[in-house]
Amino acid sequence: METAVKRLYEGLFLVDSAIAAADWQLVTDTINRILAKAEAEVVSLHKWDERKLSYDIGKVSRGTYILVYFNCDPLRIHEIERDVQLSETLLRVMILRTDRMSQEDIEKPTPMMVAETQAQAAAEAQARAEADATDDDDDADDDFDDSDDRTDDD
Amino acid sequence: MRMMRKPTNVRRKRTLTTIREQTQCRFCREGKSYIDYKDVDTLSKLLTNRGKIFSRKRSGNCAGCQRKVKRAIKRARFMALLPYTT
Repeated sequence: METAVKRLYEGLFLVDSAIAAADWQLVTDTINRILAKAEAEVVSLHKWDERKLSYDIGKVSRGTYILVYFNCDPLRIHEIERDVQLSETLLRVMILRTDRMSQEDIEKPTPMMVAETQAQAAAEAQARAEADATDDDDDADDDFDDSDDRTDDD
Repeated sequence: MRMMRKPTNVRRKRTLTTIREQTQCRFCREGKSYIDYKDVDTLSKLLTNRGKIFSRKRSGNCAGCQRKVKRAIKRARFMALLPYTT
């Protein structure tokens, strides 16, 4: 009789950045608890991005988005949505079926990942530039005698 | 029906030759079947600076893609990724 066909869903949860920064564990625990209550199997859960909201929700102006893929019984999605509305940590959620989405869309790197890789690349580039710069400095510092440096002043 | 169709064809032919060379909308050209509401960069190009959605005439989208865009923008607005108004 029990024929609970589970489908793959994509959920984007929105939380206040202050809460996410202060207690990330609390946020993930809240999401996992709500999903577990609806007997959903979490496929992946990671931070999508942290950005300024287009409009204030309550008194919150910065939000952290958490992207979760999970398998769930379609009849229990509204339970998750209601639990999010009752929750004090989670502001909003958008749950969509991922059938229409291509695998490419699902595996697209999050803006957070893109920013991290860019930051890493930038840091590497800077480190390399600094290394070059220190090499140059070494060349310049070879000349310890600076008495002859100001001959052009006169 | 036949009388209706003829003038539209004539008008379309003229616009094709004079104004635009692209015959497909931007999403059809890329072959996208789904427009992601999280793709804020793409969607914000289809909004005025007051946050209104551009008309099909302005954006050049086909009817189907304009509906997909509409849905994606409204989802993004709910998640505060895009403004309802500014």
